Amino acid sequence: MMLRVAFTVLCLMMCPSLVAAQFKGEIVGQGGQKFPIAVSPLKNLNSGSDVARLSEGIADTMVHDLDLSGWFNVLDRSAYIENPQNSGITLGTFDFKNWSTIGAEGVVKGGFSVQGDEVTVELRLFDVYQNKERIGKRYVGKVKDYRRIAHKFVDEIINQFTGVPGIFNTRIAYVSTSGGRFKEIYVSHLDGSEKFQVTNNRTINLSPSWTPDGRSILYSSFKDRVQTLFLFELYSGREVKFPPRSGHYIGGKVSPDGQSVAASMEVAGNTNLFLLDRSGNVIRRLTDDRGIEVSPSWSPDGRQLVFVSDRSGSPQLYILDLASGKTRRLTYSGSYNTSPEWSPKGDKIVYTGRVGSRFAIFTISVDGGDPRKLTSEASDSEDPTWAPDGRFIAFSSNRAGRYQLYMMQAGGDNQRRLTGSGGDDTKPSWSPRLD
Amino acid sequence: MTNSFRAVCYASLAALCLMAVGCAPATPNKPDMSSPSSSGSAGSQGSAAGEGQRGGTRESTTGSSSLKELQEGKSTATPASSPLKDIFFDFDRADLRGDARDTLRANAAWLKSNPSARVEIEGHCDERGTNEYNLALGAKRAQSAKDYLVSLGIGGERLSTISYGEEIPVCREHAESCWHQNRRARFVVISGRPAS
Repeated sequence: MMLRVAFTVLCLMMCPSLVAAQFKGEIVGQGGQKFPIAVSPLKNLNSGSDVARLSEGIADTMVHDLDLSGWFNVLDRSAYIENPQNSGITLGTFDFKNWSTIGAEGVVKGGFSVQGDEVTVELRLFDVYQNKERIGKRYVGKVKDYRRIAHKFVDEIINQFTGVPGIFNTRIAYVSTSGGRFKEIYVSHLDGSEKFQVTNNRTINLSPSWTPDGRSILYSSFKDRVQTLFLFELYSGREVKFPPRSGHYIGGKVSPDGQSVAASMEVAGNTNLFLLDRSGNVIRRLTDDRGIEVSPSWSPDGRQLVFVSDRSGSPQLYILDLASGKTRRLTYSGSYNTSPEWSPKGDKIVYTGRVGSRFAIFTISVDGGDPRKLTSEASDSEDPTWAPDGRFIAFSSNRAGRYQLYMMQAGGDNQRRLTGSGGDDTKPSWSPRLD
Repeated sequence: MTNSFRAVCYASLAALCLMAVGCAPATPNKPDMSSPSSSGSAGSQGSAAGEGQRGGTRESTTGSSSLKELQEGKSTATPASSPLKDIFFDFDRADLRGDARDTLRANAAWLKSNPSARVEIEGHCDERGTNEYNLALGAKRAQSAKDYLVSLGIGGERLSTISYGEEIPVCREHAESCWHQNRRARFVVISGRPAS
């Protein structure tokens, strides 16, 4: 089983002199004004009929992404004046008034031409106020992968507005019971497209996480009866099983340099953290406590781990400095704090905390200050994971019945559902940025 | 597991599964003043353990491992006639309540009268909290049960442990009435024919 990525994108800068955003509306994150943008259906640039419905499919994908970001007010397509098949897609070949009239301050226009199973897509972002082109890109890929082209261009748009690329050309690995009573691991884009089933062993598979190169998934599984760790390479289908030990592996995370794994292993009822190499050989033991030490997450510099310990009598977050071996407690409020993940910027930890009888997502500074609850305790929200830019968090929640995946801005705004499978979708892990 | 015992298991399993589901709620609660539990109905397991001792004289099965039952689409509840009864825990606790110790004493008595039986002790949790923490908590629960059985004279080499965390519940309702049934340790005979 392998993930097929026979997809290449040729990315041509068409206006390399362009630098800073000159748009009237500034995107400043939460609380900021949403930027009014229009996304035109694409123009079919050759004579064949649009059998794959790329014109609207690529536009729809961009609209979905822009909306998920929470930074844009995407104007409704029914209000658009221009016929995309009759108007030009380059500066000077269409009338900006058709866009300013409906309130758009930016407009995305583009065209595509299909040859066999390949498509060439040109996309441009125009500044309606200044009548200027801001981004122009050409992509070549397989027709079936057209959504990825749209994701990549939205990441460019977000870069234009915020100075940091977006995170829509990424994937989420997660656990789902959608296939029945078993827990299997899947990978898909944020919009649910290109869903790929990583495991299919009809047991319990848990805790997927990405290697920093975005090529492999580390996960735990009961597929060989006792729980152990597996490292699955998505593109080749190769899998490494960590060697059996006297104890049971519970979970693990690959280090930022990709060379080692922090893993939790249970021996005689006590679960401790161990440092392993990528093949699962123990380098050294990291904790030696009676009790529970689980869910390690690396600091971006690879020097520290945040993890869960019950040494105080209830699960709380602690930070271990790997060089000194010193540990400090991070969380003091609440009686149940688990599933930490260190932010890509390094300044915050996101985690699950119990509030009354419910679970909510919190962030806290690495110095223990500024704890913030980001989700409502009207339902349960768990298993947070950072986007690679540190500006978004994905998590699982039962707010609409069964557990599904959601994303929100890192301050808690714009909480949006990502999945709608028939089962429970849990344990999301957000990939690094992908090519 | 020997083939003959496996055969006994399978032959009786279907009926026992139904019994387990049907009978368990009907078991009268025995007030257990020694239990610190806030989830009182779990105390009924203490009285059920007495039957377990007598159960050694008739055909009995502990069922298969929870993972195997899950794979085969069967109930993961311990059969009502099992000579080895489940024990139950408070939320986020792995220490043994009074009712759990009573049950373990009965389980130890059966193990003493069936010296060839080897048992895998499964630790389980309710659905609340994080999967990884619950896997570790389930391991603590299984180990608590093992340690107590060893202290009662059962050879540690006859007892293995495994945690399924919150992954293989016996019920799936999102309420304490279900959760307390899932916070359990379960005892599965993996080899050695029970005495008959």
